Amino acid sequence: MTPTGIWLSAIGTLAIFSFLYKDNPLYRATEQILVGLSVGYLIVMTFQSTLIPRVVEPVQNLEAWGFVSAIWVLLMWTRLSAKYNYISRWPLAIIVGAGAGLSIPAMLKARIITQLGATIRPDITIDVIIGAVGVISTLSYFYFTRPRTGLFRVASKLGTLYLMVFFGATFGYTIMSRLSLLIGRTEFLLGSWLGIL
Amino acid sequence: MNLAQLDRRWIFAIIALSVALPLMFPIGLTGEVSPGTRTFHTLIENLGPEDVIIVSFDCDASSWPEIGPVATVLLRHVLERGVKVVGTSFLSEGTALGYDLLATLEAEVGGEYGGDWVYLGFRPQYVATMLALGEDMQSEYPRDYLGQSTRDLPLLQSVKSYRQIRLVISIADDTMPQYWIEYAGARYGVAIAAGLSAVMVTTFTPYLDSGQLKSILAGLKGAAEYEIMRGERGAGLRGMDAQSSAHLAIIILVLVGNIAYFMKRKDT
Repeated sequence: MTPTGIWLSAIGTLAIFSFLYKDNPLYRATEQILVGLSVGYLIVMTFQSTLIPRVVEPVQNLEAWGFVSAIWVLLMWTRLSAKYNYISRWPLAIIVGAGAGLSIPAMLKARIITQLGATIRPDITIDVIIGAVGVISTLSYFYFTRPRTGLFRVASKLGTLYLMVFFGATFGYTIMSRLSLLIGRTEFLLGSWLGIL
Repeated sequence: MNLAQLDRRWIFAIIALSVALPLMFPIGLTGEVSPGTRTFHTLIENLGPEDVIIVSFDCDASSWPEIGPVATVLLRHVLERGVKVVGTSFLSEGTALGYDLLATLEAEVGGEYGGDWVYLGFRPQYVATMLALGEDMQSEYPRDYLGQSTRDLPLLQSVKSYRQIRLVISIADDTMPQYWIEYAGARYGVAIAAGLSAVMVTTFTPYLDSGQLKSILAGLKGAAEYEIMRGERGAGLRGMDAQSSAHLAIIILVLVGNIAYFMKRKDT
């Protein structure tokens, strides 16, 4: 990173950290700059990596699929017209329909069928038993159309315990993750910027 | 003094000191290598110069201080094994970071762009792209990140789709590995592994148990463990002193906070 880049990065980091003392204009300005930069970068990247090679260049080369893509892109822009904005729903309908068609079987296989197969396995070990009991009891906690009495009450209470363990583990990992970010920035400030590491 | 009235800025100051002081005066804490990290190491050890993998930088710049050390230690190992790499990204901010990292590490091992590695760059529609990579890589990416025609890249003369890919590694701070599992793993049978931010571990552990993920390496701790296995001291190990002292500070603060709360409740 160049010295200018290091200084800009250090000032940006300190400006964001200044919120920890109290809200201030420097923090808000830096936050807005970050949002603007992220969106601007995304637009440029999308234009360069997708629109140019997949739409602009094929149209320039008179390729048929390029014109098909270009027409659908242009139809999306009818959203800006009060009279013709209904046309923009056609490409959206294709996106939603194709997206659902592609994702439903994939999700069913990866998230449910394979995971279910891994939950209840023939090789019964203590891990398998703990996992299977956890799935059944947690599912019973989320079964709301029956009064929680008898064995069902015990199962749902056990499900609550499993959920608490999950929340605790996730919270612990979240703290670890956020501290890693703080360590990274502190190392940058003390090392790359101030040069005392 | 009533702890409930304590200005929270004192807590921020304690955490800041607990991170900064160990960085300035290191103790050299390391820790033990977990079985998960050993699995990832073995996974990479089983790859060789004849293998091609996809490395996808599915992360934002904001998480790079955590995910960067994971990506660095993993990819250095991959490249030292002579494995060929096809780089992609499905989050715009990760694109340039991924390219810079790969270019730096390839320069270390003398890798040649086009022959040893290529960088396909960013795509916004990840589902469509992941599926298309299973059919025809060059049609999906007519040009690489540098604007060169992918038809002219020697590596992509032999790599056409997932059929030639041994492993996909998603360097991710969010749920992108889940899409790799669903659209590349479940549909095309490609092996998937992930370098994650620690916060995603509980989301992906069930996929590890079911075998849909071959391995995960998560957070600064994961990077430190991998560095121990590799015998190198990188950002992961450098951060372990700070991570340990900050965790200790948080544990003490949680205990003090709870004691103060119960004492106050007893008084009322």
